[in-house]
Amino acid sequence: MIEVIDLVKRYSEKVTALKGISFQADKRVTSIIGRNGAGKTTLLRILSTQLLPTSGSVRINGIDIIKRPDEIRNKIVSIPQEASPIGVLTAFEQVKMYLVGRRFSFMEATREANRALDEIGLNEFKNTPTDTLSGGMKRKVFVAMALASNAEIVFLDEPTTGLDPLSRMEVWSAIRQIDSHIILTTHYMEEAQELSEEVFLVETGKIIEQGTVDNLLKRFDGMVRAETTSPCDNCIKVSNTYIRYISKDKVQDYVEKGFTVKSVNLDDLFISKGVYLEP
Amino acid sequence: MNLKFTLLLAWYYGIRTIARGPSYIIAALSTPLALLFLVYVLSGGALVKYALVGGFIAIVASVALQSSGDAAFFRLQLRIQDLYVASSVSPSDYMIGLTLSYLMFSLPGIALYGILGVIYHLFSLSAILMLILVLALLVLATSSISFIISSSIKHIRNIWGIAGILSVLMTILPPTYYPYESIKRVFLYILSITPVTPAAVVAQYSFGLSPALPVELYVLIGETIIFFAMARFLTRWREK
Repeated sequence: MIEVIDLVKRYSEKVTALKGISFQADKRVTSIIGRNGAGKTTLLRILSTQLLPTSGSVRINGIDIIKRPDEIRNKIVSIPQEASPIGVLTAFEQVKMYLVGRRFSFMEATREANRALDEIGLNEFKNTPTDTLSGGMKRKVFVAMALASNAEIVFLDEPTTGLDPLSRMEVWSAIRQIDSHIILTTHYMEEAQELSEEVFLVETGKIIEQGTVDNLLKRFDGMVRAETTSPCDNCIKVSNTYIRYISKDKVQDYVEKGFTVKSVNLDDLFISKGVYLEP
Repeated sequence: MNLKFTLLLAWYYGIRTIARGPSYIIAALSTPLALLFLVYVLSGGALVKYALVGGFIAIVASVALQSSGDAAFFRLQLRIQDLYVASSVSPSDYMIGLTLSYLMFSLPGIALYGILGVIYHLFSLSAILMLILVLALLVLATSSISFIISSSIKHIRNIWGIAGILSVLMTILPPTYYPYESIKRVFLYILSITPVTPAAVVAQYSFGLSPALPVELYVLIGETIIFFAMARFLTRWREK
C-alpha cells in the first residue's frame, strides 16, 4: 500500500512539478498517466527514494520513505525513464550484478538472473554485450532485473517510450510476468488500459482523475467520440480537430455531417475534462 | 558494506571491459608513454627514472580522473545510478566498485611500467611497498574527486572537457615527470592541492631519486581522507 499525502515538489521559484498530490494505491498494477512535463517522473522518483520532495509525506507499507529510505530500498525496484544498460556488459552480467547489489548470494543471483532472462525471452542473447541489442531488448534487460529481484513494489518510468509497436508489446508481455505491485508512468493511454487495474491522471502537477479503467470510462457508456476538422458548437478543440461525445444511436447522423466516429478510450478522460457530454 | 557487489562491479566493469575493449588500455597508456618518450629524448635519458616513477602516478590518476566521464554518463545518460539508488546499494558500495573498476584499467599500464622499472633497476622491496601504498591512496583520492565532479554536473556534454582539463592539470603540471626540487617550494605547496603532487613527491624519495619530504606523505593521507569524506557525504545520491 502506497499512501501519498499533500506531496509538493518545487524545483525553483518558477517551477513547481507537484502541487499537493494525495492518493492511495494498492492495486496490483497502477498507472500514472499524463502528458510530458505533467509531473509523472518527479512523482515516481520521489516514491522510489531517488528524489526528496519539498513537502508532504509518503508511506510505503507503513514505512515513511522520506525519513527512512533505507528501510524500503531493499523492497523496491525502480527502472528509470530511458534507462539503458551498460553497453559493454552482457544482459546476464547486468542482471546478476544488480541482484548481488540487492544482497543476493552469487549462486542465487546466477540462478535468478538465468531464470528471469529465460522467462523474458532473452536467453539467446544473455551473453551478448547489450550495445548490440535492440531498444526493446534493452528495456527487457531492466524488466528482467525487476522480475528476478522478487521485490514487493516495482516502479517503471515510461517503460516503452521510444519503442516501436512490436517492441512495446514484447515489453508489456514481460511486465505482465512480474509478480509484484507495479506502479508505472506512461503517456500512452493504450499502455495504461492494457496493463493497469487503476489509473491516476496527472496534469500540471495535480491528480485530476483517479479510479479503475472501467469506472473512469463508465461515464462514456453508450457513447462514442465524433471528430471533425470544421469548427462546431459545443465541441472541444484539440489541435486541428473538433471533438464531441455522442450517443451511439446518433452515429449515422454525425457520419452524414462529415464527422469521423471513434470508440472511447482513456484519452477521452483528458479530452473531456470540463466538456459538456451529450446525454 | 556490500563487498560482493563492489568486487563484481570491478570484475565486470574492469576486467571484462578491458577484455572486450582493449582500446581502453591503449587510451590509458598513450599519454604517459608519450611523455616518457619525450622526457627520454629531451633529457638524454637522465630523467627517465623520474618519468618511470611518475608514469605509475600519472596512469592511476589520469584513469581515475577520466572515470568521472563514465560516472557522469552512468548517472545522466544511462540512468544506472538511479537504478542503484533505489536498491540496497549504498553510495560507498557504488563509488568503491567504480574505483576498483578503474584500478583494473590501470593495471596493464602499471605492469608495463613495472617491466620498464625492472629494466632500469628501479625497484627495492621498500620502494615497491611504498609505491603500492601511494597508488592505493591516490586512486581513492582521485576517484573521489571524479565522483564529486560527476555527481555535480548537470549536462553530460560538460564532463568530457572538465575531465580532460583536470587530467592535464593534475597529472602533467605536478612533479610526475620531473624532480620535485626543480620547482620553488612555494609552487610545490600550491600544486599540493592535487593529491598527485604529494604522491609524486613521496614516490620520488621512496625510490631514492630525490631528498625526503615526509610532510607530503601526511598531505597525501589527509587529502585522501578529505576527498573521500566529501565524496561520501556531499555528493548527490538521493537528489534534492
